[in-house]
Formats: sequence, structure tokens, C-alpha cells
Amino acid sequence: MRPFTYTSATTKEQALQAFHPNAHYLGGGTNLVDLMKEDVERPDQLININNLSYSKITAGANGGLTLGAMARNAETANHRDVRTNYPLLSMAMLSAATAQIRNMASNGGNLLQRTRCPYFFETSMPCNKREPGSGCGAKNGMNAVHAIFGYSDKCVAVHPSDMCVALAAIGATVEVQQPGGSSRLIDFNDFHRLPGDQPEKDTTLQPGELITAIHLAPPSFADHYYYLKIRERSSYAFALVSVAAGLQINNGTITKAGLAMGCVAHKPWKLIKAEAYLAGKQPTQANFDAAADLEMNDAKPLQENKYKVEMGRNAIVRALTQAFDRKA
Amino acid sequence: MPNIKNKTGVGQAIDRVEGHLKVMGMAKYSTEFPVKNKVYGQGINSTIAKGEIVSIDTSEAEKLPGVLKVITYKNAEKLNTFDQVPTAISTTTIAPVLQSNKVHYYGEYIGLVVAETFEQAQHAARLVKFEYRKDPNPAIHLDKHEGKAYKPKDMEDYVLGNLEAGLSAADEVVDVTYTTPIEHQHPMELHAIIATWDNGKVMAYATQQMVNDATIAISDTFQIPKKNVRIISAFVGGGFGSKLNTERHVIMAVMAAKMVGKPVQVTVTRHQMFTNTGLRQFNIQKMKVGAKKDGTLTALAHETLSHTSPTQEFQEPCGQVTKMLYKVPNNRVTYRLVPLNIQTPFAMRAPGEATGSFALESAMDEMAWKLKMDPIDFRIKNDTQVDLSEKKPFSSRLLVECLRIGAEKFGWKERSMEPRTKRNGNWLIGYGVSAASRQAPYQKTNAKVILALEGNKVNATVRMDGTDIGTGSYTIIAQTASEYLKIPVEQVTVELGDSEFPVTPGSGGSWGAASYCNAVMAACENAVKTLRENRNIKEEEEVPLAKLLKRNQLKQFEADGSAEPSKEFNDHSVYSFGANFSEVWVDKDTGMYRIKRMVNVGAAGKILNPKTAYGQIIGGLTMGAGMVIAEQSRIEPNFGNFITRSFADYHVPVNLDMANIEVVFLPEDDKIANKMGVKGIGELGITSVAASIANAIFNATGKRMRELPITPEKLISAAVEPNVAS
Repeated sequence: MRPFTYTSATTKEQALQAFHPNAHYLGGGTNLVDLMKEDVERPDQLININNLSYSKITAGANGGLTLGAMARNAETANHRDVRTNYPLLSMAMLSAATAQIRNMASNGGNLLQRTRCPYFFETSMPCNKREPGSGCGAKNGMNAVHAIFGYSDKCVAVHPSDMCVALAAIGATVEVQQPGGSSRLIDFNDFHRLPGDQPEKDTTLQPGELITAIHLAPPSFADHYYYLKIRERSSYAFALVSVAAGLQINNGTITKAGLAMGCVAHKPWKLIKAEAYLAGKQPTQANFDAAADLEMNDAKPLQENKYKVEMGRNAIVRALTQAFDRKA
Repeated sequence: MPNIKNKTGVGQAIDRVEGHLKVMGMAKYSTEFPVKNKVYGQGINSTIAKGEIVSIDTSEAEKLPGVLKVITYKNAEKLNTFDQVPTAISTTTIAPVLQSNKVHYYGEYIGLVVAETFEQAQHAARLVKFEYRKDPNPAIHLDKHEGKAYKPKDMEDYVLGNLEAGLSAADEVVDVTYTTPIEHQHPMELHAIIATWDNGKVMAYATQQMVNDATIAISDTFQIPKKNVRIISAFVGGGFGSKLNTERHVIMAVMAAKMVGKPVQVTVTRHQMFTNTGLRQFNIQKMKVGAKKDGTLTALAHETLSHTSPTQEFQEPCGQVTKMLYKVPNNRVTYRLVPLNIQTPFAMRAPGEATGSFALESAMDEMAWKLKMDPIDFRIKNDTQVDLSEKKPFSSRLLVECLRIGAEKFGWKERSMEPRTKRNGNWLIGYGVSAASRQAPYQKTNAKVILALEGNKVNATVRMDGTDIGTGSYTIIAQTASEYLKIPVEQVTVELGDSEFPVTPGSGGSWGAASYCNAVMAACENAVKTLRENRNIKEEEEVPLAKLLKRNQLKQFEADGSAEPSKEFNDHSVYSFGANFSEVWVDKDTGMYRIKRMVNVGAAGKILNPKTAYGQIIGGLTMGAGMVIAEQSRIEPNFGNFITRSFADYHVPVNLDMANIEVVFLPEDDKIANKMGVKGIGELGITSVAASIANAIFNATGKRMRELPITPEKLISAAVEPNVAS
């Protein structure tokens, strides 16, 4: 890889101060370091933020839970409060990567992981995300694992995270520190963005901003939840399609639904129409079918990923059915 | 000395003799040998599929601290090159590299940077700038270039009887095409070498399956005497065929060592192992099967269309299995190759048989379904004890027994003939079977045994240039010496992988175990025989080895031994046989499936060590399951590069994917195969597994999956066969 310098920050002030446009914060490094070896990421400085005091999981406002940005994925997924009140998040996180990677990967880093699009990884091929203006190789190339929603002419890549799909279903707020010293809150659904004309930007973070915490909405889906991940092998594979489904059911009626899909768009794809449709309805097969159709009718598959439409539809129905059947 | 019962001899399930070295990190793999003053080489790969290099700028790289040399075709040592193109590839073929500005495929080596550290070399390699004149039309897709197909030189069309007549005589015909993707061997240990050039002499620690052949390839490439080349390959972290021949990084390391005057280490990266160390080719296999209503086969045809590189020729023999597995009077097997701008393919575990058996054993299942016949009965009905293609009897063939015993162990009678009828919740449950066969070759092999008396104990050292590629060679060789010297295995030391040791064919093609052990047996028997004859010891008198040395007044004694195929061997067709059974659960809606259970029954001669043998079969079954689940290397159609770049993209099975596996070895005493009755099992395990799983998927879903791998996306998109009730 290219030569770079390394600094370790112990306070957020040090980290923010060390930042410059060619620097990169280093969390677990499970994605960033790989991309540096591939010459895709080319920072000239790494700022280690693993020693900052953002590794705790604590009670949040209104009965929610706050996940420290530097808490590890494994620790988070296995945390008692996460397992008890946010089992959907735990299930999604434990389906990701491998035990070794989950032990290293941080929560903040998970939000910032980059696409697995092969054109992004190979520097001799065009990719607007890696090199703005070079073109999109995948749009008319190999796009079997690419987007069916929300893509642009410039980029058809998908966000690969499992954790983020569950967060989109549950509802969360991301807290970030700004270089000036103040902090701001970003609604989780506004955190990742669609590619549009600027696919190089995965998120709405501004340069130098540092994620410090993820605040989970108060728990609604502890009793009825399911994370369905369809992939080529049972571990250490990204999803072809995934669905996070949470249902709140009172007296046989769905009072609230949280639904999101993974690996179908540039961001975790919250199924807003399906959520709204299901609220107030009975948890029946017919309603699940209708909710799935409502979303999948909007799908615009590419040449090689037409299978994602049927797979996605069936996955939504299955995840909802499993969530309903699941007895906490 | 009491006549102790040998608990460490042949057939005992002892632990690996080198196991403790491996778990303690003390087994030295090629680049772990301490070589003073070594520097590092990093290969540079082309980023076009076809064209010419028009300019090279090395200035930025050369400016970097630590960089010693940038080698390209402009300043490379002149090497022996091919007289004619394409040249058939073998394990002794020369490996010219950096000899011209031509680029034949994406990822071809176009340079090597040598630097004092690995990091410097890697960084500098990225800074060398190449400009190309790009050929706008590289040949990347087999189907688009089918018109260029030609018959490979050494693979004549095989014809028995009259295929068309056989098909006309059939009541049912299956005429279908199967495809298998490019796969890569991907042994855990990367290809690597530390090479030293000293006054025209080459010394290299290199991870190679066949060290003698490597010395030939290196000496021929550099045109130096073979005796000036020494290779040490003490431990090999897996090969699967990719380390059979001498790849170009070996030549680049030797060349660089000569040019910089220092030992040079070159490690092939995982990414480079997609483009520079061989692959299993993409095969399109057209199958025709004809059968009578009663299940008698009347015709069988297997046409393989595949690809090779523009400079070298290789075809894996997919149709081999179709020539010998069943009794069929009309049979045709052909091969055609298309030159593509992809690196030269080469052998990967059970070349031909792994892929060919998927096509044949799937087609047999399709025919059984058409005949509404049990697929086991169908196979048994067409069993043969004669290899019709060779017109020779099999030395032993327990295929029918493997099928019957396997069916019993697996619970085959619980199978539902009609697909989609066995269910559990959202799961469709299917059972599948396939027959397996793999040649049991055996080649001339030499070994040396050195006996040393220490008190009342004899320590034996066995030496041969054979290799242990993770299969257990060290252990079975030690067990053989233990058996025939009648000493405990703890007193046996095995030294392998040095080209200065007696010559063997190396490890590959399932011949290692039989070849190595028969030669070791011969050396041990020669030692004992000579020592007894020297003292005129009568046949009936038992003399332990220590006493024997003492009576000869010797502290040390050496004997050589060799073994080679007998006339009887050559008069027979020698194969291992087996049967695979799989139970697969397929989710009815999502395309996901799980392999729940597998039973493998094999008849592979004398099992030298059940523990290492089980390991071989389980490994083979896992690799076979990988062929079905997800293994494939995908090429970008416009650029010609592999988009599968690492183990994150190239999906080999994980533990969770694998079923409960039961492995059964049938006792088989085949002294025609060789004196010890050993048949290799390194490849039997992978053979036909894929078909048993695909057949189970059909039985579960009524979907006939003819294209590997069977991914969720393919399964969800596939239609149920028209004659299946859904």
C-alpha cells in the first residue's frame, strides 16, 4: 500500500484537530485497511480513534438505547439490552461477516463501510464512486448483485451492511461531532444517501465529522422480529437480498411495522409504503403479500439482477411471516 | 526382543507424524526458511486482456528508497521460449516470462520490482507506468468464439460402435447441455519462493507439488544443467493441482536473484492467484444418453467445448468418465478448444472427472427419471467389469457394492420418486445419488532408507523427493517404514521435498500414496533382505532389526528401493470407485437450500491410515459441495479481469454449509494395482458429489439445474421441469 502516517487520538478534540482532507479516521479497520491494500482508499494519514471514549452501550432517552460508535459489532450484538429489547438488530449483526471481523468492526465503521461493487474494487476499471467522472462499469456490465431501487446513471452500487438494515427498520439517530466542536443529530434514514450525481458520497457526513453514537428509537419489535439474509453461503457472504422485519402487534392488530431491505439500493432501503400499509391491519398472509407487492412494484431491475424482484418480494413476505410467528 | 504387535504400521489410524510441528508453527513452509540478505520481488500484472506494451516509465518506482531493480521485457534475462504456439502444457514445461511486449490476458506478468522490503516492492510495483496499444477485441467469451474451436493435439475423438444407431435404438433419449464455471485451486498457502542464484547454480525454497519436474522446468527455461538446480519443498500448504507445474513467479524469482545478486523472495498474492497460477476451465458439456425402457443403455455421448490460452494448450478430460463407467455399446467422447485471452488452464483436483462426472451423473439421473426407474437400479443395470474404452478388465471394481451399501446407510428407500412431494414446512426435501470413479495411477518411484543403531534401538530415516501437500504423505510413509522394518513409527524420520533425494513423481493425480509407499516398502525390504543374506540367516528365523545390524557389525546401513507398475497393472484398468448420497432441503420461495446429509462409500484399495483417508474424502466432498454452492471465478466481459478477487468474493463452503457426513471405506484387496494394494483417494472424494447434490435438488424441487454453481439467484429463476407435478 501507499505510505501514510499514523496518529493515535485519545480525545475527540485531538482527533478532530488532526483531521485534514486526505486523512482518514481508523476504527476497526476491517474495511478501510483492505481498501488501502487494494489502492482504492489512499489516505496519507490515519487517525486512530479506537481509544476515544465512545465504546459504551448506555440507556438512551425515552427508553431507547445508545450505542457507542466505537463499541464493537460483536459486543453490541451480544449486549444484554440489545438482545432483550432489540433482538432484530442483534440477529442482523450476527449474520454479518465472520466472528473475527465482528470482533474488530466498530458500530460507527459499520455505517461507513463501502460498497462491494467489483468495479469499485478494481482500479483499472471505471467507477464513479472511486474516481468521479470515470464512468460506471456496472450499469451495463456485471450487475447481478446491484441495485433495483434508487440508482442513477452514475452508480448502481448497493450498501452492503446488515446492521444498517436493522437500524433502518427500528429507527435511529446518528450523533456526530463537527470539526468546530459542536455536535449534530442525523436521522438514520438521512444518514446514507442515494447516488444521484455524486456517487462518491455514501453519506451526508461532512468532511472531518466524527460519529460518536447511534441512538436507537424506543423498542417496538422485541416480540415479533426477523432478519432474513439470502446469500450464496451460510457465513462470510454479503446478502443478495436481506429483509429486516419488526412488528408490534396488539390484540391481533399490527400497531406498528418496521421494514427495510438490504443490498437492493445505495442505502438501506426502508419500506415506508409497506410499513404504512401494514399499520392497523391484521397480520395475515394476504396483507403481507400486498405489502410486499406495494414495494416491489417500484423495482427497476438491471440486466442481470431481475431475480432480485421475485426474491425480494418472497423475502419480505417470509420475513414478515417469521416475525409474526416468532414467539419471544 | 518380544515380538511386539505393531500399532503404528499400515492401516492404523495414527495421528499425523508432523502434526505437532504444524500446530506449533514449526513446520517450515517455503518462505519461512531463514535466508540471509534476501530481498523481495513483487510481480506487476497487465491491466488489459490483449495488446502490446508501447512504453514503460520506471522512473518514479526507481526513485523510491530500497528499490533495487525494476525488471520488464526490456531488461529481462533472455529465456528459452516456445518453439511453437500453442504448446501443450505439462508439469515440466518451460515458463518463459517478461520476454516480449505482448499481452495475452488480463493479469499476465509484465514486470517485477525488487526491493529491500516487501512493502517497498509492493508500493513501487504500483508506480511503474505502462502504456498499451490495446486490442479492442480480446476473446473473452467462449460462446462468442465457438467458431474458432479446434481439436486439441493429443485428444483424438473417441468412438465406440455407432452413436446414431444407438440413439435410434433407444426408447428414451436425453439430450442436454451442462456447464461448469472457471474455478481456482486456491490452496491456503500462497504460491511462494525464495530463490538464490550462485555461479550458475539455482537453489530455491519453493512450494511445489513435484520437485523433480520443477528442476527440469527451471533448467530448461534458463538452459542450464538440471544438476545445477535444487528445489526444497518440505511442506506444502495445499496444491489442488495449482502447484504441479512451475509457474512464472518461480522463473521471475530466479531471474531476479541472478540480476540483483541476492536471494529473492516472491510471494504470489491471493489476487494474483486468480491470474497467474492456473485455473479449472469453463466447460460446456453436451450429453446424449439413449436407453431402452428396461434401462439398458444403448448410446452415450459426451462433447466438451472449452478454452485455452493463445500460447499454451490444456484440456481437462471431462469425457474420461463417460468412456469407462457404464456398459454401453455406442459411445462418443470429443473435445474442442477455443483460444481465449485468459491464462492457460491446468489441472485442478480430479481434472476431468470432477466436472465430467457432474455432466454424466446428472444425465444418468435425467434418464432414470424419464424411465421412471430408481437411479441406483439404473446404474447397477449398466454396470461393467470391463473398461470398454481400454478393452481391459478392471483390476477391481466395487461400484455396485458402493451403491448398495450406501443406499442402506443413507436410507435411500425413504426417497420419494416424484419430485416436490417430500416436504417439511417451507422446505422441499430431495435425495440424490451419483456414482464416482477416479483413476488409480501409479508411477515409478525411488526411495532410500537409512538405518542407524542406537543402543538396542534402530532409528530409520526415509528420504525421497516426494511431497506432502497436506494430505498425510509424511504419516503414511512413516507407517509403511514402521510396518516393513517392524519398528515403532516414533523411530522413523521421514524427509521429503528435496530434489537431491531419490526421484519420485511427486504429489498429484492421486498417485502419491501408492507410488511413495510401494517404493518405501521396497527400500525397507531390500534393507532387511540384504542384512539377512549377508549373515545367511535362515528364512524361518526371526531377527529383530537391531540384532540384525549387530550381527552385521554395523552401526548404520542404507538401502534403496524402487517400485513401478507391473505388467499385470498395465493389462488392467485400475480405478477407485465410490457412491455419493445427498439429502438437500430447498426453501420453496427464496432460492436458499441446505445440504443436510451426505454419505460417501468408497472402494479405494488398502486404506493406509483411516484418519488421513477420511480427511481426504471429507475435503473432497466439501470441495465438491463448493462446486455446487457457489464456487466460481467470474470474468468481466468487457475488460477480461476476474471480478472475484479474494476469498470474500470467491465463495468456498464454510462449516455451516456442510452437512453431516458419513464416510465408509469398503475393504478391497487389489494386488494388481500394486503390491501393497494402495489406490489414491485424494480425488475420489470430489468426484460426482456435485451431481448427487444437483440430483437431490431436482428430487426436491423438480428443477433441473444444469449450470454450476447452483446459486439462490439461479434456483429462484429456474422453472420446474414440464413433466413434474408442481
